[in-house]
Amino acid sequence: MMGLIFLAFIGFVLLLGVRRPFLWVLLYVYIDILAPQRIGFGLIESLPVSLIAFLAAFGGYIVLDKKEHIGFSLRQGLLLALLGYCFWTTGNADFPVSAQEKWEWVWKALLFAIFLPLTLTSRARLEALALTLVLTIGMIVISTGMKVTLGGGGYGNLVFFVDDNSGIYESSTLATVAIALTPLIWWFTRYGTIYKPHWTVSLFAVALIFSCLLIPVGTEARTGLLCIAALGVLMLRYTKRRMLFIVGAASLGLAALPFLPQSYYDRMATIAEPGGDESASTRVAVWMWTLDYASRNPFGGGFDSYKGNSFTYEMPVTEESGNTTTVERRKVTDKARAFHSSVFEVLGEQGWPGLIIWLSLHGLGLLQMERIGARWRRREKAGELAEDEEWIAPMATALQLASFIYLVGALFQGIAYQPVMLMIIGLQIGLNSYCQRVDSARARHALDDRRENRPNGGRGGVKARSGKAAIGSSSPDAVTA
Amino acid sequence: MIDYIALSIGHFLLAIALLRLVMRDGLDVDPLLARFKANEEERRKARKAAGRAARRRAQGVSEPGPEEPVA
Repeated sequence: MMGLIFLAFIGFVLLLGVRRPFLWVLLYVYIDILAPQRIGFGLIESLPVSLIAFLAAFGGYIVLDKKEHIGFSLRQGLLLALLGYCFWTTGNADFPVSAQEKWEWVWKALLFAIFLPLTLTSRARLEALALTLVLTIGMIVISTGMKVTLGGGGYGNLVFFVDDNSGIYESSTLATVAIALTPLIWWFTRYGTIYKPHWTVSLFAVALIFSCLLIPVGTEARTGLLCIAALGVLMLRYTKRRMLFIVGAASLGLAALPFLPQSYYDRMATIAEPGGDESASTRVAVWMWTLDYASRNPFGGGFDSYKGNSFTYEMPVTEESGNTTTVERRKVTDKARAFHSSVFEVLGEQGWPGLIIWLSLHGLGLLQMERIGARWRRREKAGELAEDEEWIAPMATALQLASFIYLVGALFQGIAYQPVMLMIIGLQIGLNSYCQRVDSARARHALDDRRENRPNGGRGGVKARSGKAAIGSSSPDAVTA
Repeated sequence: MIDYIALSIGHFLLAIALLRLVMRDGLDVDPLLARFKANEEERRKARKAAGRAARRRAQGVSEPGPEEPVA
């Protein structure tokens, strides 16, 4: 039954896309994140719905969509370089079979991130992509949040729609992505046009953000707690009443403490004492191994090169016998431990060149979003903003926060090629291109103003109002007198 | 049951959003950028017309215009 409902929804979007091919891009986003073919049973399992949506998204763009303002940005170039470099390392991988397996989904995610900005030609499309991301991840978050509220949860115990601990359905990844999306969810309460600001939208957003904050609690993902802390610190920059915010956040945190289970405290305690937990204590050892490996293989060992690692370390093992509890330090030998950090994941797999590309990709994104936010806020203060430009600075800020939080989470998990985050990169590139087009239109407008206000420049006295007032007006007729 | 509720809410909201997008004019052509473009076009036309008028005036000094009475 569930499979049929998913198929009906996919068919519905495919049909709508005949009129608006951009919707097929959104369909791929939805399928790639939620993976309905892995949730439902029956026909949907055998149909290649992801491939259909992938081909529809690309084919629809190439054949049916308007291709105005096609540009290729530096960050798309970096993504392309990363894609090419990953292809090369896959061909020379230490573990060719594993590398090929990972390559099969990484290339799609990277290619889609390169393609996505080409389709984001209007504000409505940028918003539509953001909304599709929020609602699709929202489905997983709502379900998880409800389960946690009703008493479920625990490390490795929470059951998601897909129970294979991969992609977005891995608890730490979900926690990171959910927290990273919270500023974007809030953006919709003030600037949304598909769902316009209304108390119902605000209520839904508050509930969804609350669910997002519950993910690290329910999954007991330590990274999630660090992401919440990072979000709190970053929010201080954009909060007018900082002291009130600090007191409010601290009070909320304290009020939540009695409701947290003991297992949550036990797990979070290992953040400060990594030696007491195998997953945490091996991280440092894996990272040191990766540095050593990269010094021997500066151009990387291909995907899943971590499979070559092996190290022995001491770990405290607690044993209870009757009323006696003994803690013994035992030597543990570990093999093929995952990187547990995106930085080391890229370094080990793609070497220094890959790491430089990956860091540049994210660093440039942070800078671009900062520049857009600052520029449009400055214009807002100067009263130079058109009525439909108010959303730009807040969206840039929300996307910048998403990147920051992702990077905090990525320090402790191997999620360097996480498709959702690559889609957010696509959204950032799309926003940047859109702003460049607005800027260049503004520049042409200002140039025309100067030309026409010059003595004899108007050649016949065509006078324009100042750029500020003209652009600020919603009527094109207001520009020329 | 919880999963069904979450999936229903998400799909319902997504379906409504997509329907609204299909009916929206600004999806394929951005209104702000279209406005800029229209302004540019209008200014270009106005400049052309003004140029033509100026040329006609300049020519009118040496030779009579079509509407002026010929002596």
